[in-house]
Amino acid sequence: MQNENAIQAIDLTKTFKIKSPPSSGHFVRRKTLSVNAVDNLNLSIKKGQLFGLLGPNGAGKTTLVKMLCTLLPPDSGTATVNGYDIVKQPMQVKRSLGTLFSVGERGFFWRLNGYRNLEFFAAIYNVPRQKRQERIMDVLKLVGLEGSAFDLYQRYSGGMKRKLALARTLLADPPILLLDEPTVGLDVISSRNIREFVRNTVKETGKTILYTTHYIEEAANICDQIGILRRGRLIACDTPNAIRAMIKQSELVYVVVEEITSDQIERMRSLPAITSLTENDEYAMGNQRGFCLELRSVDQVPAIFDFLFKEKIKLVNFRREEPTLEDAFIELTGRP
Amino acid sequence: MGFWAELEKIYYFMKRDIISFSTYKTNIAILVATALFGALSFAYLGSNASMQAVLELYNMDLTTYLLIGLAFNSYLSQSLTLVQKTINPWALEEVLVSPTSLRTFIVGSSLWGFIWSTAVVVVYLAIGVFIFGISLNINVLGTLIVLALGIGTFIGFSMIGAGILILTKQGDPVTALITIATTLFGNVLFPPQVMPTALQTISYLLPQYYFFTSIRLMLTGWTIPMILPYLLVLAFMCAVILPLGYGVYAWCLKTARKNGTLSWF
Repeated sequence: MQNENAIQAIDLTKTFKIKSPPSSGHFVRRKTLSVNAVDNLNLSIKKGQLFGLLGPNGAGKTTLVKMLCTLLPPDSGTATVNGYDIVKQPMQVKRSLGTLFSVGERGFFWRLNGYRNLEFFAAIYNVPRQKRQERIMDVLKLVGLEGSAFDLYQRYSGGMKRKLALARTLLADPPILLLDEPTVGLDVISSRNIREFVRNTVKETGKTILYTTHYIEEAANICDQIGILRRGRLIACDTPNAIRAMIKQSELVYVVVEEITSDQIERMRSLPAITSLTENDEYAMGNQRGFCLELRSVDQVPAIFDFLFKEKIKLVNFRREEPTLEDAFIELTGRP
Repeated sequence: MGFWAELEKIYYFMKRDIISFSTYKTNIAILVATALFGALSFAYLGSNASMQAVLELYNMDLTTYLLIGLAFNSYLSQSLTLVQKTINPWALEEVLVSPTSLRTFIVGSSLWGFIWSTAVVVVYLAIGVFIFGISLNINVLGTLIVLALGIGTFIGFSMIGAGILILTKQGDPVTALITIATTLFGNVLFPPQVMPTALQTISYLLPQYYFFTSIRLMLTGWTIPMILPYLLVLAFMCAVILPLGYGVYAWCLKTARKNGTLSWF
């Protein structure tokens, strides 16, 4: 049976030994601590999917990427990439992957030009010699560097370096890409270019992409599915909208009204439909007042309109507040 | 991918290094000048020295003795650090995630260094021949065999040093030790026979002694059967040190990968 998962991890675990921070006194022996960088992680990424892996620093994103590309051996559990076991079939795994590390530009040779750098990597990635030149120019064109192909790498800007690193991952036309924080350290324009390139150009080729980031909205904008890592564990895995919905326990609405008295505010606060009321005049003008209302559920909205109608209070503005993915991220990763 | 594909990869490792190297024009000039002045100064030193009696052991004058010693000491010094120069952690990670074997990586990354070292040796010997008039009678096959064994042995040392460096991240004692041992006991600047017997014993335990003795004799008209005992000892040491070095390097690399410390430089 054809495996529909491009990447699959089962109970994958990686533990690092680290020294405890030094306590007072220079002669105190530092203890060795075990840190579970990846902790019994189970993950399935379907072929052709753009999967965003979110997590705060130290959540285990890079460790997972390094295990998947065979750079780090797992302590226990198994993982397959393109159907190949990362421990037993490392060469097949490497042939299936293009990997971009968050500091990927450090692997390039600064005194070679972009073309020569890619020529070297094309050779070690087994790109056939006859197709090499064409392939290099193709990927340079894809990332928009064809005009700078023969400039020295050391003259490239940060964005250009990252684009060249992306081009390197595409050289051998692998079915799966591991992109570890591809926009970290880049300016807004360069980040957007990289995101658009991944979303529009790479995704169209049908490649499976594992995209790690700690920029929440970035993942929400381009990924089909999002996984949230916390202390090496996958604590949520779903579509961006479903992740947002996970924290939506109450309904928030924002209303702006005209000429409301203090008594009316107190009566509104005591309505059974409302669990909390806070004044927020951010969008109120003149004799208007703004309120943020937390309701028990969306079904309670008509009760608010009824109250305003009966009290003859003019409604100027009404807006339902959706929780952002950032709220979800903080909620999920911040849980004890 | 077959043998030719691997060979091609090695070619591209070398091409990368040549292009990088050729951009360091000042460095090239300094290297050539160092070789030139080194050769000149030691040649003068040799011509005025009073070690004639000792040099009778090798049946050659001191200038020839020193020039050959210096030329090939530079060669082995380069070899000793070649593998270490390849372990830039970032480049190492990028190569290790590619479908390229460790063996191809080491050979490919070292090849240009060896070619450059050979050029330095040729410069030394040319200066000796054309400026100081030293007489060489080269046994080509014997020289190549001794070189191969010497390079193999020193790559073994280099891999041990590189392996330790991968784990310790702060320099390795192996390279420093080998460099000192070569200078003092390696038969580079003076024959160990002039030293006290106890110190001579140290020389006889080191591959450098057999390498420098053999290479001098192969460049001055001796035949392979005449130096066979030296060659056999050197071959034995190479057969032990080279696989040991590879094993140590592979183990250290594996340990660093397991610990996740490969890029912690």
